[in-house]
Formats: sequence, structure tokens, C-alpha cells
Amino acid sequence: MTIETQTRDIALETLLKDIPRQIENLRSVRETFLTDAVLLGEIPSPTFGEEDRIRLVMDRFRENGLEEPTLDEFGNASGIIPGSSSEFAILVTAHADSVFSAETRHVLEVGSGHITGPGIADNSIGLAAVVALPKLLEHLNIKLKEDLILLANVKSLGRANLEGARGFLDTMRRPVKAGVCVEGASQGRLSYSGLGALRGEITINIPKDYDWSGFGAAGAISHLNRLINQLMEIPLPKEPKSKMTFGGLTAGSSFNTSPKTGRLRFEITSEGDDVIDDLETRLNEICEQFSMETGTEVRMETVAKRQNCGIPFTHPLVKTTRAIMHEAGITPKVDPSTGDLNALIRAGHPGVTLGLTTVENLREENETIQLDPLYAGLAQLITLLQAIDGGLCEE
Amino acid sequence: MSDEEKNSWLEKNTFHHGEFWDILKLVEEKEKKGLKISLCIPTLNEEKTIGKEVLILRSELMERYPLIDEFAVIDSGSQDKTLEVAGNYGADTYLASDILPEVGDKRGKGENLWKAIHQLKGDIICYVDADITNIHPRFVYGLVAPLINRNEIQYVKAFYDRPLNYSSGLRPSGGGRVTEILTRPLFSLFYPELTNVIQPLSGEYAARREVLEIIPFPIGYGVETSHLLDLYHKFGIEAFAQTDLDRRVHRNQTTTALGKMSFGILQTFINRLHAQGKIDQIPDMETFYRRFEVEDGAYRQIVQEVVEEERPPMIEIEGYRTHRASLSS
Repeated sequence: MTIETQTRDIALETLLKDIPRQIENLRSVRETFLTDAVLLGEIPSPTFGEEDRIRLVMDRFRENGLEEPTLDEFGNASGIIPGSSSEFAILVTAHADSVFSAETRHVLEVGSGHITGPGIADNSIGLAAVVALPKLLEHLNIKLKEDLILLANVKSLGRANLEGARGFLDTMRRPVKAGVCVEGASQGRLSYSGLGALRGEITINIPKDYDWSGFGAAGAISHLNRLINQLMEIPLPKEPKSKMTFGGLTAGSSFNTSPKTGRLRFEITSEGDDVIDDLETRLNEICEQFSMETGTEVRMETVAKRQNCGIPFTHPLVKTTRAIMHEAGITPKVDPSTGDLNALIRAGHPGVTLGLTTVENLREENETIQLDPLYAGLAQLITLLQAIDGGLCEE
Repeated sequence: MSDEEKNSWLEKNTFHHGEFWDILKLVEEKEKKGLKISLCIPTLNEEKTIGKEVLILRSELMERYPLIDEFAVIDSGSQDKTLEVAGNYGADTYLASDILPEVGDKRGKGENLWKAIHQLKGDIICYVDADITNIHPRFVYGLVAPLINRNEIQYVKAFYDRPLNYSSGLRPSGGGRVTEILTRPLFSLFYPELTNVIQPLSGEYAARREVLEIIPFPIGYGVETSHLLDLYHKFGIEAFAQTDLDRRVHRNQTTTALGKMSFGILQTFINRLHAQGKIDQIPDMETFYRRFEVEDGAYRQIVQEVVEEERPPMIEIEGYRTHRASLSS
């Protein structure tokens, strides 16, 4: 063991010993971040419609004394907690958009030990943790050497394909030591790699001159059903691990009329970029063949495509994160990310994604977070920032 | 009051909460004037909404900006976890029956509001209902701000859009049915100046202790109406102000419940018409509210007793005077 390694270990040990104190202290100031979670969470923030929620984030950044609170051209809100030396920056980010539409009733219920309502886990509580960080660090009397950049990124989910985070990172000119992506769901999550993914939409249109009396003639729903069956027959490799998910199906509005249009939304994820490329080609071929055989118009649109990226399991950032989670009583569950972490790592910065608390009914309107585990979830985040700041996560 | 004067009151004494966004400025002004502000939420079985109200109002208006000095939930004996949840988020919790036990215990929101005058220490008391699902700090700072800024204002009422909560979502407007069908016509007949109060029955208001302690409190449905009539009688319209709080989402009430409410308000109203010499005589009024139900094609009369009991002005209660004297000494 080198002297440098020994010094690092001692420094990490000191940080780990402080975790129980942090958990108790965070419990005593929970109103700070729970209030932000509720106020932010009750503002609808569908992807591409995050302006109102971001306005509150900006207000909070100003109220909490951040330097340079900025609303950038992409719609992201960012600000800086200045460090004492400010040589490098550490980035902490949470996505501000939600899967729920503006029409969803965004009312949260606060119980003694839980908060329930649309989007509280994904990602109002994660966003609130980022927004409240200046107050939490102040309360815990933690001062960092490096600048801490707080980013509420927009246009993250679905079709948006991480547009906000990518835009921010593309235009940021500061050297970044590391980044941490904060998600409400779920505690134990440890992502250090971005999973290769392809998101697409297949649209079937029945043309005007369609021969309804022909053999196998059918409406868009029946055709989509047949097409889905064909897609499900595509063999997926076990290695590299790959998965195809059908996430949305839209067609028709009545009981007795065959719809002329139908749409399927899907996602392919794989640890192999070649697999994704092959599957994309295969899907296009199936759509083309299906179109010709059925006389329908079948169009596949690739909405988003990302390559695999990541840092190794043995990277000091991952090792340190695991040690912190262990000390905070959190069991790590390695889970490749399809979210903000991809943008971070592809921009050349080491990073991880952490989950804050235990969650039920994720992405349902009765999404629920438990409050008791939240304090350990926040302590892991803050301790990790201290470790990055102290140079304990560098290769 | 001429139309011009009415318009002038509307212009001078009607606010929008957005005018008071600078809470820090309000805190400075409050401290300069040496005012203390208490917030009271009267409750009965409100465990679904009370947690959020206490969390947000306490965190924003006591911790972040020290506008509120005291935060109390006064409960009528909830069967659910209302007090546990409220206490968990840092409110002072009281059972109305434990306050001034020597005057006995009556059931009703007005009882809790009345006893708050004794229990709370503030120079200004702000009352906020517990069933607001879209609670926001504006529900408090919007009401206390005119009292902090203008010494002549004694009582500030809230008004807002009132979408109703249905299982299928929100339905815009349509709230305030009792206001439009009962209260506003009565005000137009007997107290035309008070028609300038846009939402006379709103459950959110703030007032100075000096005026709250000298008026009686109906314990039931008539408490908001009685406040307006009694304070108007004593001080005129200039004592009032009102603040637009934008939208307030609350539970919908059945027409039957509103009928019962109207019956209670009418009792309060007619009693005051008589007491203030607006009408010479009134007969002994019934206290039974009668309505019909249809069951298996047959009509059945339902009779419910609704007695608008009143508490006297708090200043007349010896226990209160002694308590206040001990506080000031």
C-alpha cells in the first residue's frame, strides 16, 4: 500500500465516520427539502414544458445565495456554490421534467412518514435535494474546496433524449472533477454506466385506397398486434444483455370503428452497441416487409439513440460510492442508466447516479416516497460530494 | 356610501398576493412595528391535507422567513391522525376542549377560532382552513401583509377562483354557491357596502386581536358572516381589506350540506338585522332545518337541528382577561 493510498483511506474513513451525524442532522432539517419537493412537485413539468417549475428553481437558487444563477438557452437552471479554491468544479444534477402531463392533477399528500403524488419520486424529491443543497451544506457546516455546480436539467425524458443536459455540458467550459446525477428512485441505485439505447416509434397508417375486402384486411390495431408479434419473435442475445420494451400503444377511440392509424413506442437497450445497430436494421426490415405484405404504410422513426458508455466498476469514484453506501446502511444495486448519466459520461466526465429513497408505485399517479430512508439517501450524496472534493474519487 | 366611494374602497383596499412577494420586507416591517403574528388552522379529521399545510407554511413562513411567530392547529376532536401528523411537522397542537375548560366545550369551527384568541399570543391572528389542497405561503402572507403595512386596516378577507375537486379532475368556478344565492342577495338588500367583499364566506382571513376579542363568535356556519356584520357595524367598510389569492382548490360540498349551511347563516344574519335595528321584530325562529328525500318513490322529510349558538366576545371572559394581563405583566 502506497503512502498516497493510505492517506486516501484515512481521509475516507474520517468522512464515513461522520455519516451517522449527518443522517441525524438531516432529519432535523427535513422541512427544508421536503417543502421544496412539494412546491416543485405541485408544478406540472412535462418534458418540453418545464418552464414553470424551472422558474421556482431559479427563485430558490437566488434565495439560497447561489452565485451566477442562470437560465440557459436550453431552459436549464444552474448556479454555483463557490468553493474555497475553485480550481475544478463538481456537478450535481437532477432532471426537472416528469412523465406526467400538465393535465394530471399535481396534488401531493404529505403523511407522517411518506409523500404521495405524481412525480414525487421521479424526480421532484431528487430535484429538491439539488435545490436545497446550499442550505443542507450550511446546516451541516460543510464547506467544499471546489465549486459545486447545481443543475436542474430539462428535456431529459422520452423524445427529448437528454437535450437539456447535453446542451449544458456541450457549452460548459470548466474542468469537472466528477458529476453526480440525483434521482428519487430508488435508494441503493448505483449507476456508473450509461446503457446503449434506441427509442423509436412505429406508425401504421391505413391508406385511403386500402382494399378492405382483401385477404387479411384489418384496422390499425389488428395490424399493430401482428407487427408486435413479429417483433417479439426477434431473438435477443443473452450476452451482451439486451432487452426490448414496448412502452406505449395508441390507436382508436371507439367501440365499433376500426382505426386507420396506430402507433407503437418501444425501447431497445443493450450492453452491445452492435446489437442495437443490428436490431435497428432488423426492425426497419420487418416494417418494410410488413408494409408491402399488408398494403399499409408502416414507418419507423428513431426518436433517440445512445451508445454504451461508462466508467469501470473499479474506478475510485465507484469504489468510494460503494463504501459510502455501505456505511450509510444502503445496499448498492448496480443499474445501468438510460438517463442524465449518459450525457455526463459522453461529455468526458466521470459520474454516477444515486437514488435517494424507497419508492412505491413509480410513475403512477399515487407514486409514493418513504421519508425515513431519505436521510441516509441524502447523507450518501453529501458524503460523496465531500469525497470527490477531497480527491478521493480520482484515478 | 356613494358608488364613487365604493370604487375607491375597492381600489384602495383590494390587493393581489403578488404585491407582497417580498416576504423579507414584510418581516422587516413587522419587526419594526413590534407585531407578533399567530397562525391558526382549525381542524376536524383533516389528516389528508394537514401535513402539507403545516410543512409548507411552517417551513416557508417560520424557518425561511420569520413572518409567523406561532403556528397552532386547534382540533375539534378528530378521529383520524390529524393531530399526530400536524405535530409531526412542528405545529403546536391543541384540543379545543382543553382551552378555557371553565366555559365548556361546544362543537364547531367557530369554537376553535374563538378559543384561538385565548390560546395564541399574536397581535394578528391569521386563520386558514385545513382542506386546501393547493396550499401555498401566499394564503398567509397575502392576508397578513395589509395588516402589517396599513394600521387602519383591521380585518383582511381572502378571495380567489374556486375550482372544485371532482374525481374526474377540476371543474373551474362554480364554487361559492351559498355566497351567490344567499349571502350576496342579503347583503345587497341590507348592507350594500359589504357587497364589495368579493368572497364574504371565505375561510381564510387575518385580523387584529383588538377587533377579534370584542366580537361574538357563532360556533357554526355563521362565523364568517357575523364577523363581517359586527365589524362593519362597529368600524365601517374602511376597516376591511381583501386579497386575491388566485386559485384555491378544495373539496366539493353537496347541495344538501350547503342547504344546512345556509340555514345556519340565515339565523346569524337575521339575529344581527334585529340587533342592529335593521328590522323591528322577529318571531322566535325555528332551529330545525327541513328537507326532503325520495326513497322508493315516496317523499320523506328529513329534519335536522341546526342551532347557531354563539360565544360572547372573548374580552368578556374573565379567564381571558386574567391570562392577557399575566402575559403583559
